[in-house]
Amino acid sequence: MTPALPIAEIWVYLAGSPLFALLLTLAAYEIGVTIYERANRNPFANPVAIAVIIVAIGISLIDMPYTKYFEGAQFIHFLLGTATVALAVPIYQCWDSLRGKVLPLITSLLCGGAVSILTAVFTARLFGADMTIQKAMLAKSVTAPIAMGVAERISASPTLTAVFAVCTGVIGAILARYILDALRLTAWWQRGFAIGVAAHGIGTSRAMSIHPEAGAFAGLAMGMHGVAGAVLIPLIADVII
Amino acid sequence: MIRGLIILLSFQGAGEIVSRLFSLPVPGPVIGLVLLLAFLIRRGKVDAPIDTVASALVKNLGLLFVPAAVGVVMFLPQLKANFWAISIALTVSVVATIAVSAAILQFWPGHRQTEAEEPKESA
Repeated sequence: MTPALPIAEIWVYLAGSPLFALLLTLAAYEIGVTIYERANRNPFANPVAIAVIIVAIGISLIDMPYTKYFEGAQFIHFLLGTATVALAVPIYQCWDSLRGKVLPLITSLLCGGAVSILTAVFTARLFGADMTIQKAMLAKSVTAPIAMGVAERISASPTLTAVFAVCTGVIGAILARYILDALRLTAWWQRGFAIGVAAHGIGTSRAMSIHPEAGAFAGLAMGMHGVAGAVLIPLIADVII
Repeated sequence: MIRGLIILLSFQGAGEIVSRLFSLPVPGPVIGLVLLLAFLIRRGKVDAPIDTVASALVKNLGLLFVPAAVGVVMFLPQLKANFWAISIALTVSVVATIAVSAAILQFWPGHRQTEAEEPKESA
């Protein structure tokens, strides 16, 4: 027996099992986090962006279709729902410091959410993006799992919406520091909340890595935006599309 | 750890059931979040098993977005064709959203008092 045969067999086994997709995703993320830490948590070294690029290159190199990759990686994807539930814990931990802040937080959320939708859809329209893209822009500012659900409801592509949602998260996580510094925001709860409204999960993830209070308020903003977005975006969609 | 996972998954499941039962527009996990938050407020503390699992998940939240985001490979031609429109729209939107949300919190009347009460926050 030639040595090539068992390797080919092993390869067939790996490609058919979730092992490869899981391993690739975890390893890519670990590399992303390592680079992020080595770069002193520089926002440009965003670990999610690095991981996505590594996985995308990895699966194209071996000609693995995305659907096949997702069959394996869905176990990680599933935990997104569980992690959303888990956000109740950091929110609970900042619950007592919410007193007196509810009204500004809700106002900030609703205005931020409205601005996010209007600027995204109309800028895309101005630069000649087609309807598929404009529709996917509508739901991109809420966290990816909710955005995908909203996308289905407004007959936009859930995957494209998720891609925009993640890109939004990455861009927000990168730029937030500079915008907040320019506005001279110093309180962690304000910084965290603004990041959470605009850059949901990935922004929250970035905020968590900088300061626990910023992380908790980012999680709060992301949760509130998720609830508000799920209810309001379909209504707004009817008006502006 | 297992106990924490069971609790979180139960809340996720309960959220899923409530969402479907009343055909709410809010997805199950978000309702699960609200239910767990209500539970924690009532209980007045976070039990260690919940804390262990929740911290692990929340700390690695970024990882969980990777599988969905890799979906970008399916849209490469469309994304390339509309590269500038998409990049500009997403960037303008994110910058405007952060700026508006932040400015409202910054200039909200009475916020300075709040900050003075808790000076550790601006550290």
